[in-house]
Amino acid sequence: MELHLTLVFNGLATGMLIFLLAAGLSLIFGLMSVLNFAHGALFMFGAYMGTWVYILIGGWDSNLGNLNFFIGMAAAAGIGIVLGYLVERFTVRQVYGNHLRQILITTGVMLVVGELVKVFWGPNVIRVVQPEFLTGYFAVGDVRLTYYRVFIIIFSTVILALLLFMLKKSKLGIVVRAGVENSEMIQALGINVRKVFTLVFIFGTMLACIGGFMWGPYQGQVNPAMGLDLMLIAFIVVAIGGLGSVAGSAIAAVLVGLSEAYMAYYFPPGSLAVNMLIMAAVLLIRPTGLFGATR
Amino acid sequence: MLKIKDLHTHIEQFHILQGVNLEVPEGSVTVVLGRNGAGKTTTIRSVMGFYPNVKGDILFQDQSILQQPPYTIAKHGIGYVPEDQDIFAGLTVEENMRVAMRKEDDKTRERQEWLLDLFPDLKLAWKRKGGHLSGGQKQMLSIARALVNDTPLLLVDEPSKGLAPIMVEKVMEAMNVIRETTTILLVEQNFIMASQLGDYFYMIDDGQTVFEGEMKLLQEDEGLRKKYLGIA
Amino acid sequence: MNIKKMYSKSEAVAGGGTSGAGTETPKGNRAGTSKPMKNPFQSMTWQKAAWIISLLILFAVPILVSKNSTLFMLTNIFIWAVFAMSYNLLLGYTGIISFGHAMFFGIGAYCFALMARHIPQGELGFLFAFGLTVVICFLLSLVVGLLSLRLRDTFYALITLAVATIFVIIAEQWRTMTMGNDGFNFTAMLSRDLFGFIDLLDRQHVYYIALIFLVSMFVVLKRFIDSPVGRTLQAIRDNEDRVSSLGFAVLNYKLISNIIAGVMAGLAGVVYAISIRFVSPDSVLGVENTIDVLLMTVIGGVGTMLGPIIGAGVVEVSSHYLMGLSHIHPIFERWVILFGIVFILIILFFPAGIVGTINQKLRGKKKEGAS
Repeated sequence: MELHLTLVFNGLATGMLIFLLAAGLSLIFGLMSVLNFAHGALFMFGAYMGTWVYILIGGWDSNLGNLNFFIGMAAAAGIGIVLGYLVERFTVRQVYGNHLRQILITTGVMLVVGELVKVFWGPNVIRVVQPEFLTGYFAVGDVRLTYYRVFIIIFSTVILALLLFMLKKSKLGIVVRAGVENSEMIQALGINVRKVFTLVFIFGTMLACIGGFMWGPYQGQVNPAMGLDLMLIAFIVVAIGGLGSVAGSAIAAVLVGLSEAYMAYYFPPGSLAVNMLIMAAVLLIRPTGLFGATR
Repeated sequence: MLKIKDLHTHIEQFHILQGVNLEVPEGSVTVVLGRNGAGKTTTIRSVMGFYPNVKGDILFQDQSILQQPPYTIAKHGIGYVPEDQDIFAGLTVEENMRVAMRKEDDKTRERQEWLLDLFPDLKLAWKRKGGHLSGGQKQMLSIARALVNDTPLLLVDEPSKGLAPIMVEKVMEAMNVIRETTTILLVEQNFIMASQLGDYFYMIDDGQTVFEGEMKLLQEDEGLRKKYLGIA
Repeated sequence: MNIKKMYSKSEAVAGGGTSGAGTETPKGNRAGTSKPMKNPFQSMTWQKAAWIISLLILFAVPILVSKNSTLFMLTNIFIWAVFAMSYNLLLGYTGIISFGHAMFFGIGAYCFALMARHIPQGELGFLFAFGLTVVICFLLSLVVGLLSLRLRDTFYALITLAVATIFVIIAEQWRTMTMGNDGFNFTAMLSRDLFGFIDLLDRQHVYYIALIFLVSMFVVLKRFIDSPVGRTLQAIRDNEDRVSSLGFAVLNYKLISNIIAGVMAGLAGVVYAISIRFVSPDSVLGVENTIDVLLMTVIGGVGTMLGPIIGAGVVEVSSHYLMGLSHIHPIFERWVILFGIVFILIILFFPAGIVGTINQKLRGKKKEGAS
């Protein structure tokens, strides 16, 4: 029983972190039908940037306490905004409406950004420790809940709630939801959908970069392969959850997180295969994903 | 109010419109008629700026709107009611209206109230999702959505298509009210509706305007109707 | 608005802008090397002569060049060219993008390598490796195609990427069979008198194998693309809805293309294993290989016959020399950045690639001259 509680807890934490990566991807995919192959590289860049600042500031002045963790997170978010803008403005925007060229061009961005990470921070693994205030655990019965995992779950849940609230209530949220369905009609109502695209792209990249930063202390390291590895997981989540559905991504991410946690315990090499099977099953039964609009 | 001069529209490699000329005088209801595939919808969509490859000229209130993006064209005050209504299925009626509002001021809210009085069905379905509405309700919502902003010109693409006769009547009644304040360019296959609403008509065939005149003319001339519309 | 079209615009130009309105029959003659439209007699002879001369030169290379490293590089260009041609069949002629194409290449390479390692090498083992590759690649591309081609086009990229990643994991984990991440070398196992006259350890022999392989695959692919099936495929790429409304079973055509591309990539993998005498997940199976072949295809010219070959040459040669510059500045180790930027620029400004753009220029000049 303790085993299963632990695994569920771990799976939940992993899942919610994956959700941060997948949410932006899902919105970008749903709204602009851009399958953004650069997402993983962008998220990796955010992870490195944030980690670099986090370690650098931590080394400067130990009096800062745990502030360096949040400064690192802000740096990741900041670089996410900058990169998101640049990538959308100079590449993705040029090829809207053409799926194949979008995939190709974001693949090019993936190559460039992925290599830039190696240029700036080298090709090797960088170790990352958890911030002091989040190290350790508390026990509930025999289940150990590590603070960092608890933090991830709470943080991501707050983001999820904010996102859902914004989508439900704000004008921009309603426009985004409408745009996911039919971006042409949105234009006919006098809304410059391109601006909305840019905003969503920036926002999605920022979320991914924050998620990337949090991934470092979670795994104890950042490395240049993490972009592609996690992007594949994020894609699977988006496909399962349904394009453009934030709630769907959250549920799919937790599902994938749970399967990761269980497979990591029982048969680690099989974890991707299991996630693939889940995706294949969902797509065969419901090609639009669990929560995708049936159009 | 709207002038289309020698409009040529290419979609991909196809030359769809090959010289459409028409004029919509202020305060009128102008009807575009023609067979299926003649280019009626393409004409309206060209006005909305949906096609990148358009030649000729389109003037709205004597200003050229050719090559402008759809959202700018809409902002000039041109409302668009597409053929399939294009209601946002995942949004409630309320949200569908809110998406359309460019300003959320008193005037806009007044207009919304007026529209809801015009279409009481919408008030009843206010919290319902667009995807769950009936065909008639969708049509009403689509028209209301287009008019919630200050809209001097309304483009309506086949409002009677796929509707039950009772609904066609309702829509027609509403259009009769709307025409008092808004100029309308109407594409319509239903000749009864077209002839009752329209002041003036243009006939499109094979992507060209081939004939135009007072609506009366067409009502009286059976031969003309047969030739271009295939109806007696 | 049809967003499925991709390179059709540039293609139409490359093909002489012949895809006129309302034509119901799919058009052929789009390939970059296709027969010229104007003054067929004269240009035909010229083109034939050019072909024969370049082939003669290529066959004479081992006699003129004795440096093994040059031969080795050319050999690998030929093999990657076939790999890129098979990728181009998907991207350029069918309009679908795969991120898992390297799995076929890797399967071919591993088939040969494992055969060499575990079965006493001889003619039978050699042929068996080819046969096994064809069978596996056929079945795999059939299954993957059936699973993914009926979904929306973007999912094909996603599913191929995921399936290919699973193969990488298998190769990494099944250490007893594949030696895991380290891969293995099988030079010692290669036969020195295959069929009595082929020495697999002689660079010249391998060069000729690769060249003959390239030429035969080129002919096969050209035949296929000019066949009714090939033309229908191109029509599907240009306007899927139209072809499907004409009653063609679009899925079947895409499946055929998927299978041919898969088997061809598998065979290229076999020949590659013969050439490099070593396999590892990174060198033949990984996603990086698919991305390399994607770069080659796009840089060379999507939807042209010669494009992938030129692309393979450009990418192989320049990456080789850029790597060589890394002692001047370590930035050259990151040559992929340069390719990434070139790649983005090509997609933005020259979507027809090197060969396609040259074709457009030539056609443009011809038109000017004619009018």
